[in-house]
Amino acid sequence: MGTYLELKYLEELKHSFASMEFDSQQPEPHIYVGSDDLLGLMQRLRENPVWSFDRMGNITSVDYKEYIEMVYMLYSRRFDRWVTVKCRLDREKPVVESMTQVWPGTEFEEREIYDLMGVEFLHHPDLRRILMPDNYTAHPLRKDFVPLQPKIEGGVLTWHKQKSSS
Amino acid sequence: MAQTEKFVLNMGPQHPSTHGVLQVQVELDGENIIGAKPVMGYLHRGIEKLMESRTYQQCVPFTDRLDYVSAMNNNLGFCMAVEKLAGIEVPERAQYIRTICCELNRIASHHVFIGSLTNDLGSATGMIYAFRDREKILDLFNIICGARMTCHYIRIGGVIADAQDEFIRKTEEFIDYVPQMLDEYDRLFTGNEIFQKRMQGTSVISQEDALRFGMSGPNIRASGIPYDIRKIDKYGVYGDLDFDIPVGRTGDNWDRYMIRIGEIAESAKIIRQCLDRMPDGPFMAKVPKVLKPAKGDVYHRVENTRGELGFYIVSDGTTKPYRVHIHRPSFINLQALDHMCRGMVLADSVTAFATIDPLMGEVDC
Repeated sequence: MGTYLELKYLEELKHSFASMEFDSQQPEPHIYVGSDDLLGLMQRLRENPVWSFDRMGNITSVDYKEYIEMVYMLYSRRFDRWVTVKCRLDREKPVVESMTQVWPGTEFEEREIYDLMGVEFLHHPDLRRILMPDNYTAHPLRKDFVPLQPKIEGGVLTWHKQKSSS
Repeated sequence: MAQTEKFVLNMGPQHPSTHGVLQVQVELDGENIIGAKPVMGYLHRGIEKLMESRTYQQCVPFTDRLDYVSAMNNNLGFCMAVEKLAGIEVPERAQYIRTICCELNRIASHHVFIGSLTNDLGSATGMIYAFRDREKILDLFNIICGARMTCHYIRIGGVIADAQDEFIRKTEEFIDYVPQMLDEYDRLFTGNEIFQKRMQGTSVISQEDALRFGMSGPNIRASGIPYDIRKIDKYGVYGDLDFDIPVGRTGDNWDRYMIRIGEIAESAKIIRQCLDRMPDGPFMAKVPKVLKPAKGDVYHRVENTRGELGFYIVSDGTTKPYRVHIHRPSFINLQALDHMCRGMVLADSVTAFATIDPLMGEVDC
């Protein structure tokens, strides 16, 4: 199952990144970091041979109604070790640095998050919708999502907001 | 002087070689490919969203529809994630039955791979041979759970029904038949010169590239990286079993084919050991009818037929998951398609689709 990154390394990282927080009482403390420090932290975790997190195990996002949380689970093949990094984003305008700058293999997953959750990634090579139609305007995995109504106008499929059902 | 002009050719979504409703926009210079862009979403059903409005038990059938040719492996991934979240211990007999079913399903899925690959390379006969043998496994599933493809057999806490004597006897018969089956494939496909010439040295993925694209499963092992979650995480009873991971050398189409052939033999070895060691006892743990895991999140990954399948579940303490994310191997492996097709001729792109083995049910989710 692998082990989790030790507390001493987390303490060490905290000295470099001011916005980094974790709950040292937890057995597997998740790292919470501000979106400004995220890219720097990820580069450290990827490139430092002490950790060598060479694989993005899982990247996803969760809508907690007040904010959107990005979840990054990094895995090191060499040490069989995990670490979870979370980053809270403003729900109205979620913007975060793209992880394709560190792990190029996250390209499709970030496109999927952009499509379904509406998070915008900076410096992404090809940020387009991937599963939903290109002219769709809503983001289905948001908790307040209401399906759009399809309509054919002049031979083109378009999407419209539902009229309020009052 | 002859002039060539770039143009874009749409392969699919209605194309016999794209393994479902995948569209690939192939950019061509003459007959040479200079770029391939996969376009997906034709089979998008919003399974992640649907799961948010179902209870944990009701979510399990959705996982059958992800990778519909290896449904058991998907059931296992989701059920193990929920078990980890709720702290449920699975009885040992159930774990052995699960392993047998998953490995049988792995063989069945590789049959589909071999069948569709040979079909894409122009030999419809191959499909018939592979599907004849796959039918034997589907019949086994029919005995154990009454369904052939979308099994919904592995449940949270164990399996829904015990393995009957008839199932065990017929599984043993099938395992005895595997060497003969592989021998026949070797004579029919592996030794075939056209088959070899079409695949050797085409669509090479180097070790660095396989890591860069975050690939997993047989595709990364063909490039020479022994990355198998069954060996690394040793989930279920895999830690007690003796099996090898076939690893390729060059990472070309041929290696990706040979890896799957090797995996069929290894899966048969695993099933044989499980049948020998399977203890008596309960096949289902005591799971509360109304399952309310504590608040928190969990990630669990298993080795699916196509690679690393992970389930990330967020619980808010109610009977329904707050959020489910599925880390699908085919979706991520498909990122390598552009790299694989570049510099090949158009006819080789079909081989590249086939050996990367994407399944659209899983890609589109």
